[in-house]
Amino acid sequence: MGSSKKHRGEKEAAGTTAAAGTGGATEQPPRHREHKKHKHRSGGSGGSGGERRKRSRERGGERGSGRRGAEAEARSSTHGRERSQAEPSERRVKREKRDDGYEAAASSKTSSGDASSLSIEETNKLRAKLGLKPLEVNAIKKEAGTKEEPVTADVINPMALRQREELREKLAAAKEKRLLNQKLGKIKTLGEDDPWLDDTAAWIERSRQLQKEKDLAEKRAKLLEEMDQEFGVSTLVEEEFGQRRQDLYSARDLQGLTVEHAIDSFREGETMILTLKDKGVLQEEEDVLVNVNLVDKERAEKNVELRKKKPDYLPYAEDESVDDLAQQKPRSILSKYDEELEGERPHSFRLEQGGTADGLRERELEEIRAKLRLQAQSLSTVGPRLASEYLTPEEMVTFKKTKRRVKKIRKKEKEVVVRADDLLPLGDQTQDGDFGSRLRGRGRRRVSEVEEEKEPVPQPLPSDDTRVENMDISDEEEGGAPPPGSPQVLEEDEAELELQKQLEKGRRLRQLQQLQQLRDSGEKVVEIVKKLESRQRGWEEDEDPERKGAIVFNATSEFCRTLGEIPTYGLAGNREEQEELMDFERDEERSANGGSESDGEENIGWSTFSASSTTILDEEPIVNRGLAAALLLCQNKGLLETTVQKVARVKAPNKSLPSAVYCIEDKMAIDDKYSRREEYRGFTQDFKEKDGYKPDVKIEYVDETGRKLTPKEAFRQLSHRFHGKGSGKMKTERRMKKLDEEALLKKMSSSDTPLGTVALLQEKQKAQKTPYIVLSGSGKSMNANTITK
Amino acid sequence: MIEVVCNDRLGEKVRVKCNTDDTIGDLKKLIAAQTGTRWNKIVLKKWYTIFKDHVSLGDYEIHDGMNLELYYQ
Repeated sequence: MGSSKKHRGEKEAAGTTAAAGTGGATEQPPRHREHKKHKHRSGGSGGSGGERRKRSRERGGERGSGRRGAEAEARSSTHGRERSQAEPSERRVKREKRDDGYEAAASSKTSSGDASSLSIEETNKLRAKLGLKPLEVNAIKKEAGTKEEPVTADVINPMALRQREELREKLAAAKEKRLLNQKLGKIKTLGEDDPWLDDTAAWIERSRQLQKEKDLAEKRAKLLEEMDQEFGVSTLVEEEFGQRRQDLYSARDLQGLTVEHAIDSFREGETMILTLKDKGVLQEEEDVLVNVNLVDKERAEKNVELRKKKPDYLPYAEDESVDDLAQQKPRSILSKYDEELEGERPHSFRLEQGGTADGLRERELEEIRAKLRLQAQSLSTVGPRLASEYLTPEEMVTFKKTKRRVKKIRKKEKEVVVRADDLLPLGDQTQDGDFGSRLRGRGRRRVSEVEEEKEPVPQPLPSDDTRVENMDISDEEEGGAPPPGSPQVLEEDEAELELQKQLEKGRRLRQLQQLQQLRDSGEKVVEIVKKLESRQRGWEEDEDPERKGAIVFNATSEFCRTLGEIPTYGLAGNREEQEELMDFERDEERSANGGSESDGEENIGWSTFSASSTTILDEEPIVNRGLAAALLLCQNKGLLETTVQKVARVKAPNKSLPSAVYCIEDKMAIDDKYSRREEYRGFTQDFKEKDGYKPDVKIEYVDETGRKLTPKEAFRQLSHRFHGKGSGKMKTERRMKKLDEEALLKKMSSSDTPLGTVALLQEKQKAQKTPYIVLSGSGKSMNANTITK
Repeated sequence: MIEVVCNDRLGEKVRVKCNTDDTIGDLKKLIAAQTGTRWNKIVLKKWYTIFKDHVSLGDYEIHDGMNLELYYQ
């Protein structure tokens, strides 16, 4: 189409203003042309001609304006658009125009002001920097148009579309038919017959031909073989065929394959079919054989185990650190997740030569495990069991006394002849021995030892064990040589000796202790003795005049005598010093004033009494100690009345009980026999003298203000007092109000109004000196004139 | 090549030239280059539709001259 060419040429000319215009222009005409071909044959040329004219005008206008603002371009383009709205082909022109317009606008700052944009080159540079491909300027899809410039869409011709579709279908059908015919052409139809089927002669000929061909083929094969043999290729050929045989799969090829089951799951005599396990196509791992049934069974078992909900983690499970084969078990944290993280690792074994597996190794391992288990020692100790009171026969055996050879400890006896002189001290010792007296080992001996220091007193009383006695206490030597004159050391067993030694040690220690105590107390005693001596001296001086022939009665001593013996004195054992003191005092007194018989007697009495009496009652405090002791004694005897009388105190309720101390008498407190006696429980009678006496009883009750109470109020008051509490706040307020009102009422005057107007009136009259009172404010205001107005 | 207008109604109005097969992310980069912000701080919206970065303009049917709302995050 000539016009279209012109079209293009003009468009290109226009496009030179901007480089991109060409690209867009080239694409459009083909479409344009096509369109024109179908639709606008009639109007195409006219339209294009018209367009051309318009375009030239517009372009001229465009060129004239040069680089103008987008608005002008837009205006011109819209102008153009309005004119040729109906022609769709013109759209492309306008779009191109707009393109140019945009480009013009893009390179200059827009007059609209706020929209900034870059030119295409700048945009391309930016895109290159960002790493994007450059703008495709030609690809402008303007079919849909924009909201601002809506454009009519293509007119869809349904007829044409349908025709096209039909054509396509027809072509496709024809093609298929052709293919089908080709295929079917090869197959013989029923109509067609080979000539030799009916005609025997033809058939015979055919069969002969076939035979001939067969023979030929055989001959050829033979020839070939001969040729091979000639060339020595036969072996090669045979090898080839042999190889083929070898390549056939057999049992020996199973060597090395893994079977993914435990070897125990295969039982003897059973046949199980193993298949290759599924694996991905791209997986290069080696093949694994499985039995489908076994796989299912294993999975089912696993599911059952999971469903059982066994605890994942047993905190107190005693995991052995060494596994079955006596190897250290690796300790892992959160081992329950290992299967999830690392994947399942099923039991598997490899097939050996010839595709067999005998599981010999596994059985060997089992045997080793069993052996090790037997050898293992459990760390759990044997639990506690009841100890038997009697020795078991085994223990009895160990208890057997080994008969030791008697070592004869023969002390080299000194050639000492026991003489009578030697025996003398012994005799002394045995003189005043106490043969098991109770006081042995107690104060007596000690005291006597003390006395030893002071005065010559018989030797300390011996203990039964004379050997011990004879031993020097301060002697530290073990088994010191017994002093001369002691009886011979007997021959004894070693054990006996040991025992004796131990006993002696103990005794010695005790004695040392006692001596120690004694020494301490001894010092004290010394002091006391000194004091006493001084006192004694004093006493002696006092008593001396009295002593002459008179029995001295000391107040304290008499009192003490009357008190009697203190039977439990000294039994507690804490009174060693005291006892000593006592004894010492006694002795001193005895020694100092041998004449004061009474004391001595008393003392003696005391001592004897102490020995013989038995105590039931508590120890009586010694009254000469002080007032406290005396009081205590009295209290114990019951001479003092220390019981507290019950006095109940009632809280004063709301000032209705003015007396703060108000006791509720407890009638049951009167229990002692003296007051009981005064109670009268008999028959009472009126006095005969007072026969005609009829008193006028009038009990008046008053409240706190002095007002006389009504019976109701009186009863209320009584009940308040009785119960101990009065009314609440509201009640009392009401009562108060009522009382006030009553008071007011009383105060009210009977002759006057409550406000006292009569009195006021009278006062006013007095003041005005008139018998009347004018009731208004001022005379003027009450005039008739004022009122009527 | 289409030109898209982006307006943030606070004074920034840009016209960006881009291809139809460009993604929104690329468009954002172009906008950022012109406005001077960071591209990952830009949000392009149309009413409540937020345009996602990985989708192309063609898929969103963003045509030439369309106005997009420019927000910042």
